[in-house]
Amino acid sequence: MSVAAKISERLRQAEQAAVPIPPVRGDVAADDIAAAYAIQDCGTEAGLRAGRRLVGRKIGLTAKSVQRQLGVDQPDYGMLFADMELADGDEVPSGLLIAPRVEAEMAFLLGRDLDCPSPTMADVLRSVEAVMPAIEVVDSRIAGWDIRLVDTVADNASSGRFVLGGTARSIAGVDLRLAGMVMERQGEPVATGAGAACLGHPLIAVQWLARKMVEVGRPLVAGDLVMSGALGPVVPAGGGDWFEARINGLGSVRIAFARSA
Amino acid sequence: MDIEQLAERVDDAARNASAIAQLSAEAELPLPDAYRVQAASVARRLGRGERRTGIKMGFTSRAKMVQMGIGTMIWGRLTSGMAVEEGGEIVLSRYVHPRVEPEVAFLLRRPLAGPVTLPEAAAAVEAVAPAMEIIDSRYRDFKFSLGDVVADNSSSSGYCVGPWSAPDVDTANLGLVMVFDGRAVQIGSTAAILGHPLRSLAAAAAFAGAAGEDLPAGAIVLAGGATTAEPLRAGVHVRLEMERLGAVAFRVAG
Repeated sequence: MSVAAKISERLRQAEQAAVPIPPVRGDVAADDIAAAYAIQDCGTEAGLRAGRRLVGRKIGLTAKSVQRQLGVDQPDYGMLFADMELADGDEVPSGLLIAPRVEAEMAFLLGRDLDCPSPTMADVLRSVEAVMPAIEVVDSRIAGWDIRLVDTVADNASSGRFVLGGTARSIAGVDLRLAGMVMERQGEPVATGAGAACLGHPLIAVQWLARKMVEVGRPLVAGDLVMSGALGPVVPAGGGDWFEARINGLGSVRIAFARSA
Repeated sequence: MDIEQLAERVDDAARNASAIAQLSAEAELPLPDAYRVQAASVARRLGRGERRTGIKMGFTSRAKMVQMGIGTMIWGRLTSGMAVEEGGEIVLSRYVHPRVEPEVAFLLRRPLAGPVTLPEAAAAVEAVAPAMEIIDSRYRDFKFSLGDVVADNSSSSGYCVGPWSAPDVDTANLGLVMVFDGRAVQIGSTAAILGHPLRSLAAAAAFAGAAGEDLPAGAIVLAGGATTAEPLRAGVHVRLEMERLGAVAFRVAG
């Protein structure tokens, strides 16, 4: 078993047991992004071998403030599997996740393959079939969210669950950059923002991802779902919390967290 | 306590752009007295020929409450001397340590006073606009108690209003980007203003009513900052873009 495969297996076991592990940056160089993605790939391949269905990607580190925090100048990505999806309004059982946090995002459904070399914004615009409001429940298998870039990349970009809401809409004529976002916890606004918080425009993030996916040989295809990255601050989720996110013009989406037993 | 004397102190500080010590450092300044000082200081402005143009709400967002460590809404009085022309220029020397924050402005078509319902508040609105408020505490280091800031007219010092739109735009969750020299410095939504800016308008009517004033037709109400405030610096071009409502901009002289 390669080093990457061993670390990937550690992360997988941490996820299954919902018991966190120390950072992986002790085992790979703190600036070796390629090694971190190799670990993520091992996890992806293991998931596919186990019969998990790949349904899309998530984009992370799309906020300037988060990039500054981690000392990076570009986003990262992770894989979305069908078993990570929750239904609008679902309650996340206690003990399922380690230290969940929620962020409001846009979810894009692709209607065409983006497998051409270096997809342009025009290619992206032609590919996006619909947009929906979404909540991403991120989680870290690294204890205490003590992460640097390599830790989160290896850990499937700290992905956890995702939930889609509202009505799927065409993006034609929708001002995705200025669309307002508010996320409430127990009915109180705890995060506000707008599309511009995601790399200046959510579709800039999608284009970055599309190019990256062509580069690494796992291009986005028709039917894929893309989670844009957060439109505002990320919020820790505790037992008994319930969240609703609303994106102006796109609708709303909800998720709840069961009280710990 | 000499209300007039305290009013003169904050008014002079604003007029001369000179920082002063907190009033509360000498003697406690209960909230009702602080509002009396505010009213008296604004009366001095009116005595110099300024007109009342409306009111501003403060600490209507969690971000602002956290930034300033104050947990209650406050209000202040706007005058014609504080108006900054859209597309205009300000000079830093007129301020102590100014900051700017993105806001929504309401223009009233009919008077509002006392406790009103949200539909009543909405029905009194003639138009809505993207706006920026220049806040400038006259206290050293922008530090103050609740009484201090209220006495200092809730840090009001300037406001710049963009194009007015008919009030059929739902202001509940309008995205906004505040840009300094072409770079986004604050991104947010009007939902940060009490969950809905109209709630702030209703609160403004209640505040004014309790103070024995009404908000007349033609009054402007600034609903409160939607994000934390950004410090202004010489030469910067400041622009606020708001979903559906357009943009408003001014420049700081270099």
